[in-house]
Amino acid sequence: MTELVDVAIDRDGAAVPAAADRREGSAMTGRIVWFETLRLADRPGAGGKCASLGELISAGIPVPPGFAVTAGAWQDVLDHTDLRGRIGDLTATVDARSSAQLRAVQARAVDLVRTVALPSGLEAEVRAAYAELCRRTGRHDLPVAVRSSAVAEDGDANSFAGQQETYLWVRGADDVLARLRDCWASLFTPQAIAYRGRLDRGHRDEALRIAVGVQEMVDAEVAGVAFTVSPTTGDPSVMAVNASWGLGEAVVSGEVTPDEFWISKIGLSVTRRTITHKAHRCVPSPTGRGTCLQDVPAELADVASLTDDLLRELAALAVRVERHYGSPQDIEWALARDAAGAHRFLLLQSRPETVNVAVRQARRDAKVAAAGTGPASYLAVLQNLAATHGRTP
Amino acid sequence: MTTTDDAPAGTIPAPVQARFPDPYEIGTPPGAEGWQDLYPYYNHFLPQRRAVDSAKTWFRNGMHFPEPMPPFDIVTSDSAFMSTGVMNTRVFALPPALGLDVRVLNGYVYMSSLGVDDPERIGRRAQEFAVRVGHYYQNWPALYEAWETKVKEQIAGLNAITVPELGEYEPLEHVLAGRGVTQANDLLVAYQAVLASLDAVWNLHSEMLNMGYAAYLNFLMTVKGHFPEISDQAVATMVSGVDVLLFRPDDELKRLARAAIELDVADAVVAATDFEVLRSALSTTDAGRAWLAEWQTSADPWFHFSYGNGFYHHHRSWSDDPAFPLSMVGEYVGRIRDGQDLRRPIADVEAERDRITAQYRELIPGEHDREAFDQALGLSKVVFPYVENHNFYIEHWYMTQFWRKMREFGALFVRHGFVHEVDDLFFLRRTEIADAVADLQFSWCSGGEPLGPSHWPEIVERRRAVLDVLRAWTPPPALGPAPGAIVEPMTIMLWGITDEQVQRWLAAAAGRPADVLQGFAGSPGVVEGPARVVLTPADLDELLDGEILVAPITAPSWTPVFARIRGAVSDIGGVMCHAAIVSREYGLPAVVGTGNATAAIRTGQRVRVDGTLGVVTILDD
Repeated sequence: MTELVDVAIDRDGAAVPAAADRREGSAMTGRIVWFETLRLADRPGAGGKCASLGELISAGIPVPPGFAVTAGAWQDVLDHTDLRGRIGDLTATVDARSSAQLRAVQARAVDLVRTVALPSGLEAEVRAAYAELCRRTGRHDLPVAVRSSAVAEDGDANSFAGQQETYLWVRGADDVLARLRDCWASLFTPQAIAYRGRLDRGHRDEALRIAVGVQEMVDAEVAGVAFTVSPTTGDPSVMAVNASWGLGEAVVSGEVTPDEFWISKIGLSVTRRTITHKAHRCVPSPTGRGTCLQDVPAELADVASLTDDLLRELAALAVRVERHYGSPQDIEWALARDAAGAHRFLLLQSRPETVNVAVRQARRDAKVAAAGTGPASYLAVLQNLAATHGRTP
Repeated sequence: MTTTDDAPAGTIPAPVQARFPDPYEIGTPPGAEGWQDLYPYYNHFLPQRRAVDSAKTWFRNGMHFPEPMPPFDIVTSDSAFMSTGVMNTRVFALPPALGLDVRVLNGYVYMSSLGVDDPERIGRRAQEFAVRVGHYYQNWPALYEAWETKVKEQIAGLNAITVPELGEYEPLEHVLAGRGVTQANDLLVAYQAVLASLDAVWNLHSEMLNMGYAAYLNFLMTVKGHFPEISDQAVATMVSGVDVLLFRPDDELKRLARAAIELDVADAVVAATDFEVLRSALSTTDAGRAWLAEWQTSADPWFHFSYGNGFYHHHRSWSDDPAFPLSMVGEYVGRIRDGQDLRRPIADVEAERDRITAQYRELIPGEHDREAFDQALGLSKVVFPYVENHNFYIEHWYMTQFWRKMREFGALFVRHGFVHEVDDLFFLRRTEIADAVADLQFSWCSGGEPLGPSHWPEIVERRRAVLDVLRAWTPPPALGPAPGAIVEPMTIMLWGITDEQVQRWLAAAAGRPADVLQGFAGSPGVVEGPARVVLTPADLDELLDGEILVAPITAPSWTPVFARIRGAVSDIGGVMCHAAIVSREYGLPAVVGTGNATAAIRTGQRVRVDGTLGVVTILDD
């Protein structure tokens, strides 16, 4: 058994819901906000990840419960302590090209963030929210994931922005608070400092805004990723699912080669299966904190990690998410099983699928270009004829 | 790692050789020497044209001509290829595609498509095309209605042709009417009229067909633009009519089974093996006569339904030989008595089609694209009744009458000693029959002896032996250099010839193991069972319940046997071929267009038919 680093690069982002579902503007207030009250429009306060989770909940999609420690809370820390000034002093003179200087600044900034006395009441609010989460889920010292939730739009994709930390299997209010501070401190990695150094004032301020999500940890039996369009051609009638035993982090980070399933959305039938040898799975660490890689029992290693019935259930869920947003989605999901053996799918994240938008546009362009000559030439004529005469009898 | 793939395979095997056999290097099977005499010079690979014809790619047309051609029967190739060619080339000016060259090798028909490369010429043709096809699309329902009338007129005209008796004397009424012109002249006119009628009806066949396919093609391309991974099968399902003429003969058999039960003659019908015996028996009672009247109503035209595809004289039709429809009526009586509901679930199939269509439509982003989808689908649905129904009118109804009319000539030549059997006439080429007509005209006129009886019987016997040898020969699926990328969509759709198919044929030509045959996913589902190789309609009798039908091409008239079989495999055809349509309708797995299933599979071998994936696996050694 090998210890897995419990800091994983995460992919964050928020999709845009179909116009009808979009709530105009943010109605969010407070330093702690529960997911179920959030919508996409709350990104400025809750960050993209938390806002997106709230949006999913509003659409009736099963998502593990949790709350956001808002960007406003972090703002309070900066505003009501001497942190801003002290870090400002540190970074004002740093040479962004010197990694030695940047590393030194990081060490001192992280130390400051970890030790600063939080402004009045904030610590109590976080402890109370965690206690409430424990109460809601009925578990003492509920294991949670503590994740950065980037406010800036490009924080989604840009790993240099330092807003993509995820700490898994965190237990107890003390640890939650510690990981909350770690998420804040991740703004001061050398890459993040250098990155902000290249931004203008307005963007730099925004890049310093960060929310943190605290969410019930799913002890996944199987987890993975689902694309609601074909990853190879962008075909929107096709869905691809990657799945492997254990927590999804192993799939996302590439630690294991997952099973791959292709599903037709028309009738939700599984059209292709590639079953891999899954040697490892990511599981909660026996210490109760963090995760580790474990050998998969031999009898499971070459077995499909999802049955066709489960795949159809997952696909139906993914289609609902896609419909809610009105655009192709890239979804992280987990399959949990309770003590009685009953299963349920939970969605951990959904982002707009962007690669294939470009693929489709390129294909359309190529089609237009080809329409001038060759065999495609009369297809254009036919299309016009169809437009004139194509009435359904 | 194991991959199981229920979708059309996306991978193309690597090319293993750059060319198919050269037509000029393929030898004659022993015993078939002189086979060239069976066919006109314009179907030969002439030595003088070796440089030109060796450089072209020739695909075997096994879809229409699965067997070696009897000498006269090549008229169907003449008329059909002339007609599809003239519509593409001269009538509608399909911009990049003309017709096809046709050659015969060891009795089998090969074709090579002719195209337009010059972009300027394509552009000029596109302008003509828009005007000409536009007119057809705009007036399609009216033109289709007129088309049905034209075909029925051709059938009536063909049946009105009289083959003169050429008895001892010119009929007295001709003399008393002072006609002057004699039956000898009538014979020549009648033979020419039959050939002209065939030509005309094939013109009609192609008149609307290629434009119908063009509209379908437009829909196919529109859909594939949005759903690159969609199967042709799914596209076909969206367009297909559910109640098409090809199912009508089978429906008539069910109707006759119900009528037999209602009229209380079912026991006699079930027991009967010979229709004429049954007819005599039933003629004695009112109920029996009533049922025979029902049979007659069904038989004309619905039993003018070829056991094959109508392109060969020996395929015959249900009305030529009612043994099969009679046995199927008996089988349906049994099923009705067992409480089975024989009605096809038309409403369910329609609902399923509409549900699938709506689901795809919903996935198309943007109102504009959805409109284009609706338009392309709408046009396809306007034209598709023709595409689906023309086959019954021409290949079945008309061709049944055509072969019958030719048999009247055959009977005449038997009477005059030219040939021994009526069907022997089909061992003469069209121009040779014209010669025999002249011989008979001359001798009848002179009162002397025709030379035909001394000349033809020996030739007929030799040719019969040659054809038997050729029938046992396996023709390569293609000849000449492997083509470049096949992009002309009409070629792909009409002939089922794709890059993937060409690569499979090349692999097969290189002697790759043939226990897995790749074809088109004709009808979804997976099934295993013993194979029954059916090369000619006569073999259909041997087909047992639960077998998997393996045939060069499955004819629509075989529809009733789909009630017996578990699955179907064909050498030839794409997802729009009749076998695929019937299989989908009957919910049977089918793999079509395998190229060589009838050669690779032996009767009795267990095979697995994966009609979803388009793969046939031979399970026994």
